Amino acid sequence: MSKLSRFLIGWHVQRRVLSALMLRELATRFGRENIGFLWIMVEPLLFAVLVGLIWRALHGPEEYGINMIAFVVTGYIPLTFFRQAFGRSVKAMQANASLMYHRQVHILDLVFVRFLVEMAGGMMAYLFIGLVLFILGIFPLPHDVGMFIAGWFIYAFFTLSICLLASPLSETSDVLEKLVPVISYLMIPFSGTFNLAMWLTPQARHYLLYSPPVSGMEMMRHGLFGDVVRPYYSLSYALSFSLIMALIGLALCRKVRRTLVVE
Amino acid sequence: MIVCENIRKSYQIGHGRKHVLSGLNFTLDRGERFGLLGRNGAGKTTLIKLIGGVELPDSGKIKRHMRVSWPLGFGGGFQGSLTGYDNARFIARVYGRNYRDIADFVEEFSELGRQLKMPVKTYSSGMRARLAFALSLAIEFDCYLIDEVIMVGDQNFQRKCIYELFEKRHDRALILASHNEFFIREYCNRALVLNNGFGTVYTDMEEAIGIYDRL
Repeated sequence: MSKLSRFLIGWHVQRRVLSALMLRELATRFGRENIGFLWIMVEPLLFAVLVGLIWRALHGPEEYGINMIAFVVTGYIPLTFFRQAFGRSVKAMQANASLMYHRQVHILDLVFVRFLVEMAGGMMAYLFIGLVLFILGIFPLPHDVGMFIAGWFIYAFFTLSICLLASPLSETSDVLEKLVPVISYLMIPFSGTFNLAMWLTPQARHYLLYSPPVSGMEMMRHGLFGDVVRPYYSLSYALSFSLIMALIGLALCRKVRRTLVVE
Repeated sequence: MIVCENIRKSYQIGHGRKHVLSGLNFTLDRGERFGLLGRNGAGKTTLIKLIGGVELPDSGKIKRHMRVSWPLGFGGGFQGSLTGYDNARFIARVYGRNYRDIADFVEEFSELGRQLKMPVKTYSSGMRARLAFALSLAIEFDCYLIDEVIMVGDQNFQRKCIYELFEKRHDRALILASHNEFFIREYCNRALVLNNGFGTVYTDMEEAIGIYDRL
């Protein structure tokens, strides 16, 4: 068999396995009762809307010319995506170890699937709430869709790289699991959720841009709100940071797989 | 054919390590039926998991030149919160089979009836065994890995398994871990005796069982 045809067969099997795992994950987590898998967008929606209303009450209807609710929603949806994906990557291998009974399923699939489910949920929630708020007249028509999507993928790639790292680390030590809530909370300032880089002092901005998701968030907001947001970002830095994290994570996953004990 | 070359496996226990297998070599050819003999803790389940690819050896190589089933045992392979049908659907998808065919076979072979609509965690061990056997027979493998579990079922189930596995599929290979000497003598044509992390293959079943009895 040629290398290419072997690769194509492998790719075909991999896709089949990933979709089987996704459906299984949705069925185990949400069941088939009432709205079923649509639950995956409920949490980000509730967070974004409720926090948006609180900020609206505390800080008034607008900030620097951006509608307050729209601003909070655009920050909170990606943030809940990150938090959920990160939280669920912890101990993902141990929780799904019984899947190792089927040789087609690889250890990385377990991490990918949980990440993909969260990403799909985040994207659906974003689209849904964007439409509703647009109809209500408080959400803009995207200024630059390409920029917005690129920002989302920078943010998502960073999230994936953290999942790839957190998942094997949580198998080797229990400390990480206990730190999840704190890390999730600390992501608020370091993800650019509630602040645009242009509002900060040059020095603060310089330090904040060391955090890759800030670049993604800035691009998304510029893509959405247009010129009211002057974006600050570094594509090459954000991508190479995430790439290095992801590579270390892949190596760790391999290492953990060798010693994984399956009941 | 399955080739095991110098398989070593150890587990972390506290600060030390327990060496379960310390250099195991054997070859299983198409159609050979291995009875796996050894005392409790000798590494029968571990070896079956390694051959099935569920866990990985510390060192050594396992080459599988045929379709090897997942280990059929007391646990593993199922998602407890999903129903029997959902597990069947998942396995059909992963192995690229038609779900309807698999479900039909499972209904007929397992005789679990309406219980298939219940979560697997509510099953007794005998019912789990029925589901596991039904699924693996529906997928069709060249080599079946069986960890004791055949003994869990009732008479009727054992008869069915024996018919499907040893008569209808008599050309398939098999690795069967068991303490039941009668079973091994009756249905296997090779014996692999595990002791102190090493294994020896015997073609004379009586000799193997005699050695096992004296362990």
